[in-house]
Amino acid sequence: MKKKSFTMLLTALLTLSTLLAGCGGNNNNQANSASGESTTKPAESTEAPKEEVKEEPTEIKIMLPLNTSETPPDTIKNELEKLTNTKLTYQFFPADTYEEKLNSSFATGALTQVTYLKNQTTFIQMKEAIKDGQFWEIGPLLSEYPNLSKLKPEILNNTKVDGKLYTLYIGRPLARQGIIYRKDWADKLGLAAPANVDELFEMAKAFTEQDPDGNGQKDTTGIIDRNELTYGAFKTVSSWFGTPNNWGEKDGKLEPEFTFDGYFATMDFFKKARDGGYINQDFAATSKTDAVNMFKSGKGGLYIGGSMQDIDSLNKDTVKNFPDAVLDAHSMVAGPDGSFAQWMIPGYNNVVLFPKSAVKDEAELKKILAFFDKMMTPEVANLMYWGIEGVHYTVEDGKAKATDDKELIEREVKGYKDSVIGEAETNGMYENYNTLPGRIHADQLVLENVKVGVADPTAAMDSATYTEKGVELQQIITDATYKYIYGQIDRAGFEKEVETWKSRGGNKIIEEYNALYKK
Amino acid sequence: MQDVTAQPSSAPQMKSKPEIYNSSSELKKRLWRNKWLYVMLTPGLLYFLIFKYVPMYGLIISFQDYKPYKGIMGSDWVGMKHFSRLFTEPDFLNILMNTLILFGLNILIYFPMPIILALMLNELQGSFFKRTFQTIFYLPHFLSLVIIVSISYVMVTMDGGIINELLVYFGFEPINFLLSPGWFRPMYIIQVIWREAGWGTIIYLASIAAIDPGLYEASRMDGAGRLRQVWHITLPAIRGVIITLFILKIGSVLDLGFEHVYLLLNSMNREVAEIIDTYVYTAGLRQGQFSYSTAIGFFKSIVGLIMVMTVNKISKKMGEEGVY
Repeated sequence: MKKKSFTMLLTALLTLSTLLAGCGGNNNNQANSASGESTTKPAESTEAPKEEVKEEPTEIKIMLPLNTSETPPDTIKNELEKLTNTKLTYQFFPADTYEEKLNSSFATGALTQVTYLKNQTTFIQMKEAIKDGQFWEIGPLLSEYPNLSKLKPEILNNTKVDGKLYTLYIGRPLARQGIIYRKDWADKLGLAAPANVDELFEMAKAFTEQDPDGNGQKDTTGIIDRNELTYGAFKTVSSWFGTPNNWGEKDGKLEPEFTFDGYFATMDFFKKARDGGYINQDFAATSKTDAVNMFKSGKGGLYIGGSMQDIDSLNKDTVKNFPDAVLDAHSMVAGPDGSFAQWMIPGYNNVVLFPKSAVKDEAELKKILAFFDKMMTPEVANLMYWGIEGVHYTVEDGKAKATDDKELIEREVKGYKDSVIGEAETNGMYENYNTLPGRIHADQLVLENVKVGVADPTAAMDSATYTEKGVELQQIITDATYKYIYGQIDRAGFEKEVETWKSRGGNKIIEEYNALYKK
Repeated sequence: MQDVTAQPSSAPQMKSKPEIYNSSSELKKRLWRNKWLYVMLTPGLLYFLIFKYVPMYGLIISFQDYKPYKGIMGSDWVGMKHFSRLFTEPDFLNILMNTLILFGLNILIYFPMPIILALMLNELQGSFFKRTFQTIFYLPHFLSLVIIVSISYVMVTMDGGIINELLVYFGFEPINFLLSPGWFRPMYIIQVIWREAGWGTIIYLASIAAIDPGLYEASRMDGAGRLRQVWHITLPAIRGVIITLFILKIGSVLDLGFEHVYLLLNSMNREVAEIIDTYVYTAGLRQGQFSYSTAIGFFKSIVGLIMVMTVNKISKKMGEEGVY
């Protein structure tokens, strides 16, 4: 046992030091990307005259966050300009500091014609400025564009501000979360994929007590979780218990999820699992990296709540440690009443805005929208998402298989990949070509999830109190939930915390949401 | 009339003119003579001007409802709204207390460590040992806090951490270090010492090195042992340095390191671990409440300033120099 902890310490040290090296490199590259940006500009102006064939290419300046360390070269951009008859200036800024860049550009009126935000949070923060009339409303124009009008109405709805549409969205699967588990362990113990929450609990118990790795020691844990209620196991399991997604209707009125019975049932589930030792005891203090490492090093068999598509990377490292390991994905777990459910995100990851300070008139806006309309064609979407066929990917079975040279993709394509609006179903780009059976299963389940998906009814609603202190208030509930699971407070104690939540502003949030809900 | 008025005014002019001329030319001369000193001073001055004074302009937003798209000039003024929100926050006292307690531990437990360590290093014979130990002690300073905290996590976790394994092996109950409020402060302070104590010895070792060896020789003649020497020679000699560093330390009162506490913070120990910096993060920055965050930061700086001035005054009363 002692020896094991020591090796774990060593591996932790090693991974951390590589992480460190990565961070160091990142910093250098940020400087590079800033300088790279200035060098790309002159290059464009020299090549522009060549392209003036018939119609004048539209000049568009775009700012967007960059999730890699280096500004991509113009390989993709040049192709993109040819396909869309545009002259594009991409201004990439490191995603880490993108918010600051956004705010300072905004304050100085330096936003570009096309402004990508960073994520949903920046979008919420920007809502006030949107209401203030700083951006073009595009809702009424969409129908003029055959491809843009394919964008999913329910997701467009989620991005509306005061019922008006200002943005195009970058799509994400609505519900990717589920279970990734050690199928080899389950097979060995004669267990099938858990069909309901009781079986899930039994599996966690069996993985802990019945020595699934067969080393004769009781050194495994059923569920590996981390310090996250939403993106960890809790929220996903709570969906299975029939808890609404953040807010749910009770007697015709919206109420927060933690007043529903399903929420308590979920807390009891985790309390029982923790008391029995079927979940890592320190999960409230365990980071994602630590949790993932525990799974990969064979300490646990159930990884719940993360994206099931992560099975590729989990599988890669687990198999390295245990050549016989087989991983599978699963998400159809029935609640106590036998019904299925899965919470959904609002379906977008990021949005694009068109500032009035940069886009002078509607004619200009229409030209820019025309560019995005072309981006919604398979040809352009594939170019931006997958790269150049034959160079960055090949087509197999009608699906895109990325080249093995991950670094090439990271360098040349990744920057553009995150800016493609819509999703494969609407813009017609290739789906990912998978070989791992677990991954193929996961992709099917992602689609299955949506069929039983539960949306957040407040996704498109605004509550002034929530914007001001929602996160701070949520902390009260998060803390109380953990304390309940760890047995420090009981149901009465939890309800007292809910009262605190209400009195400190929660009541106002409930009021504000319900005022909008009735409309 | 003209003559009369001109007379008295010109008389002192006559007198003072050469004097003014004199002093200004002297100033010029002095400036010119030390021109290189001033040139060398410029980068430092510019640094403080650009990075410390100019940003203070931003404090304005703590009295506004700052909106990035309206800018500092365009945002609405709201007076003390954000400050009264802070002071009426039910957790405010608790957070302030947590901050001050951590700070107190820093002063009481961490602060003497580098001094003790420096004295011990100083007593080591042979420069090879001394250098080796110094280097070993410096090393943790270069590790990121994320690494320090992660190593601690791996060591103390209930899920197979070595310390709990040892406790069980020797027949004790395992201790939940990570999730119990009682263990947060010890963990914090141990990690601070682990990371910073060695690095902190540098200045003390330098000032110890400056002590006249003759003093030690003389005391040895008089039969003083090692401990006597430390007490009567080394410590008094570095007293000034200790006090200066102490005041500077007080100045950073509330800068306990957001990163460090945030990494240790979790739902189970929040009641003792939430400090001003982490509160700013959750309540302010994560929700884009720039004005509120700035108001809290402003408050923190004022508390720091008051503490430095108090300690400085006390140290002057006690006959020490102080930092200003």
